[in-house]
Amino acid sequence: MKHLTEEELIGEAFGERRGKSEAANEQHLATCAECAQAYAALQNDLAEVAPVEPPARDANYGERVWQSLAPSLAVYRADKRRWLRTGLWKGLSYAAACALLVACAFYAGRQWEQRQPHITVVKSAPPEVKQHVVLVVLSDHLDRSERLLVELKHADAGSTEMVSPMRDEARSLLAANRECRQNAKQIDDPALATALEHLDRLLGELANQPEGLNTATILRLQDEMNADGLLFKVRVLRSRIPDQQTTGTNRSKGGTI
Amino acid sequence: MHCMGKNDHEAIRAVLGGDKEAFGALVMRHSHSLFRVAFRITGNEADAEDVVQEAFLRGYRKLESFESRSDFGTWIYRIAVHCALDRIKSSRANEASRLAEETDPELDDVQVADLAAGPDRLLLSGEIGALQQTAMQSLTPTERTAFVLRHMEDCSTEEIGAALGIAPNAAKQAVFRAVQKLRFRLATLRVKV
Ligand SMILES: [Zn+2]
Repeated sequence: MKHLTEEELIGEAFGERRGKSEAANEQHLATCAECAQAYAALQNDLAEVAPVEPPARDANYGERVWQSLAPSLAVYRADKRRWLRTGLWKGLSYAAACALLVACAFYAGRQWEQRQPHITVVKSAPPEVKQHVVLVVLSDHLDRSERLLVELKHADAGSTEMVSPMRDEARSLLAANRECRQNAKQIDDPALATALEHLDRLLGELANQPEGLNTATILRLQDEMNADGLLFKVRVLRSRIPDQQTTGTNRSKGGTI
Repeated sequence: MHCMGKNDHEAIRAVLGGDKEAFGALVMRHSHSLFRVAFRITGNEADAEDVVQEAFLRGYRKLESFESRSDFGTWIYRIAVHCALDRIKSSRANEASRLAEETDPELDDVQVADLAAGPDRLLLSGEIGALQQTAMQSLTPTERTAFVLRHMEDCSTEEIGAALGIAPNAAKQAVFRAVQKLRFRLATLRVKV
């Protein structure tokens, strides 16, 4: 008699779709004491990891989630802040594509002063192209900032060696952040301006630790960041720039928002 | 979570037509189920709340790509599962790099021994979650998520595959590996008692 494998037993326990083989398995289970015992042991183990009941949320939970999100969501509408909608930038003209390429190259390097000719190209582009470039650069900047903030949030204050790459990234982002703050003036968005200002402060502190980051500094920065809700703000701002506008950049982010 | 489909579609049309407030109804309707699955996957209240916010943000941003034939509840649920999986992947990565630094071969045993010291106490004080969490720690993020969806959320392997972006058979295998590992871990814990 061929006994059921563990995989088959698990399939039984989870009520996998009933096919021919499942029916045969069930029949075997009903008649074989050995398999019945193995099955009972499995059931027992699964009961040990019973479904967790999450801590209760009160009836207003959904309302609270909405209240915290609502102020940050852009209206789906073609109004004067059309950059929030897709479609406008869908067909990038050749000129815009060039300007985009230039902007990315400019952004990637910290030595932006040496690239004045390129910036001139961007500056001479039509206003809507210029704004698009600003948005692409901004979106990339927010992505990188978000990644750094996530790292900081999860940084283990005890192991300071791990955080020197973080400090280096903060230094690189600091220069870019100043650029973005300049550019953000074109967009006239108070939420963005405030977030970039907070980011500036935090990046400055992260970047300017001569002896590296110590435990106390990391803990303090984590507190500041949490009190400020900075990570969330950055995510919100990033989410307001639809992906369609930023395809073609050198974004390397994975699944995270 | 599938019962409000019609209202959901009306709300989505309103949002895309410029009525931002209409999204509020969707948030309020689906927050609890998203919180539940997020909590089960992350095992942590604060992370679960973050995941819920993130999921709705991503959902709002991608709303134009939502297919009107699909069910919004299922769609946003999958986004939340993704967010939760990302979350445990990134915290796992941090944990792994921390553990890599402390190359203590006995570390694993020490952790097991600590928790095995008082399973009765854990059970009696209602902290069954701690024992379960320890067992769950032996799973990879994908295995953990697949197992939670199968065992706690009653999802089919097809649904799990869709939520994780893998083939149903791969989802089934992930659940199988998860159960095997969990059983092994539970056996270890029992021996230590
Ligand atoms: Zn048998």
